Amino acid sequence: MADEQEKGGVSMREQAIIDGILTEAPYAEGKVRRERRVEFKVPADRIRDFLKLLREKGFELMLQITVVDWPKDGEYELVYQMWSIEHRTHAMVRTRIPRELDKARMPTVRDIYPVAETYERDAHDFFGVYFEGNEKMEMPWILDDTEQGLFPYRKDFDMLAYVKKKYMILDRFDENKDNYVI
Amino acid sequence: MVSQSELVKEARENGMDLLPLDKDTYELFFGPQHMATENFSIILKMDGHRVVKAIANPGFLHRGFEKLAELRPWHTNIALLLRICVPEPDVPEAIYSMAVDEIIGWELPERAQWIRTTVLEMARVSAYLFWIMGLSFKLGVYTAGQWAAAYRERLMALFEQLTGARVYHIYTIPGGVRRDIPNDAWLRRLRDTVEYIKGKLPDFDHLVFENYITFRRMEGIGVMDKKFALAEGVTGPNIRATGVPYDVRRADPYLLYPELDFEIPVLEDGDALARALVRRYELEQDLYILEQLLEMGPPDGPYKVQDPKLKNLPRFKVPAGDAFAHVESTKGDFGAYVVSDGRNKPYRVQIRGPSIAHGIRVLEQLLVGARIADVPVILMSLDNCPPDIDR
Repeated sequence: MADEQEKGGVSMREQAIIDGILTEAPYAEGKVRRERRVEFKVPADRIRDFLKLLREKGFELMLQITVVDWPKDGEYELVYQMWSIEHRTHAMVRTRIPRELDKARMPTVRDIYPVAETYERDAHDFFGVYFEGNEKMEMPWILDDTEQGLFPYRKDFDMLAYVKKKYMILDRFDENKDNYVI
Repeated sequence: MVSQSELVKEARENGMDLLPLDKDTYELFFGPQHMATENFSIILKMDGHRVVKAIANPGFLHRGFEKLAELRPWHTNIALLLRICVPEPDVPEAIYSMAVDEIIGWELPERAQWIRTTVLEMARVSAYLFWIMGLSFKLGVYTAGQWAAAYRERLMALFEQLTGARVYHIYTIPGGVRRDIPNDAWLRRLRDTVEYIKGKLPDFDHLVFENYITFRRMEGIGVMDKKFALAEGVTGPNIRATGVPYDVRRADPYLLYPELDFEIPVLEDGDALARALVRRYELEQDLYILEQLLEMGPPDGPYKVQDPKLKNLPRFKVPAGDAFAHVESTKGDFGAYVVSDGRNKPYRVQIRGPSIAHGIRVLEQLLVGARIADVPVILMSLDNCPPDIDR
């Protein structure tokens, strides 16, 4: 691995995997991160096609769907963490969607990877990404019923103010009790 | 998480077909105050003593670690994130540190790698002993459970000498480990402990794993096949019990594992018994790995990266970037995805606990048709760990 890095090149095995996938998915971009780590960028509306293709190409396990909030760009980044037992390679499939709550919608992939149903519920509970076609989207997941719709993992969620309000922690010198000062 | 009655009410109001009751069935709320579920709740629809439908209801251990981690400096997060996995807290420490190491581009000194590998393997042995305790209690073999807890105590004492803490060690940090091995006597004690636990394995076999009652209780229940397990993202001993030889230590080698010799036990049956036996074989392999590590001995050199960055930890900054690191825990593939934007705090940390795959959908499907007495056994055979679902 060290030799390959010194040459400034990338691992051939990983590049072959990427080439095999990109010939059938010209809409995607791919690059090798390091040995056993590859990365793809896919437009949000092609994610189902791309994951179907990945599954055919030997990426059997979906490990997680990570949502990263980028308020400066006004976008959510969704990272599908995939693992291939056959190729011994981890693939990150990145896609971006708008972060406004009414526009943060994605097609579900639960028919391709059934376990995605759980990950999608998780992403919905904490970030408010709505996965169309997932029947369990409205079902309560981890958060309490009083915490539904807050989407606390968003960057603009003021956690300290929420905690102070919920547990009635008032600042000593705050005269106006409605106004919670951090 | 909601209260049970609220959950049922809300689901019904949303028109969901949640446990429709007819006169022959009843609802049973299993957990969260139940020893077998460990702060995890399952809503069961029962017909007599058979489960007709099961709905997993997590969230009783949610502490919002991923959000809290975004508000604290890089190093202090170790003390936070390790609480995601109670039986083996060294795993979240290790994956978080490995991800940070990868973003910075640090190559660990050999001594640090040796110590990390040893700590991870000690954690595995300790977690398997903890699991044997749980399994024995659920099967009613209380003696073996108390033995396992007592032997685990020896490892806890060793951890205390090494790290200063028994359960939550806060030991692995980005760039290496927090302090060096105390002395050679510690290595001798570790060797003695490994020998001791190895000598006690036949006792566990006689009492638990070769026991007629164990076979009757576990054989043929909670069966899953290879295709199902792969589609549901099951990892660790649970997938190896269905015939897939997937182990992160071999598939994506980290630390010293490429240099170590060990087998990956694989069974084909996919039932609760196969899962239990895979764990039993792995305990033996882990003790064998520890023996090899002790024979190898800790290499000379520094126990953490020699970098001026580590001198001033509150101002410790990580360059912008992201990394995914994962290790093999006793529950499965435990991963962390860490994003940095160049400040002294992480931008996003996501922990992938293995139980989120086998503890929700798989559990719901395996429980259908089981008897109520088998529910704790199936739970234990999957080694469901609720804190890594709730985080």
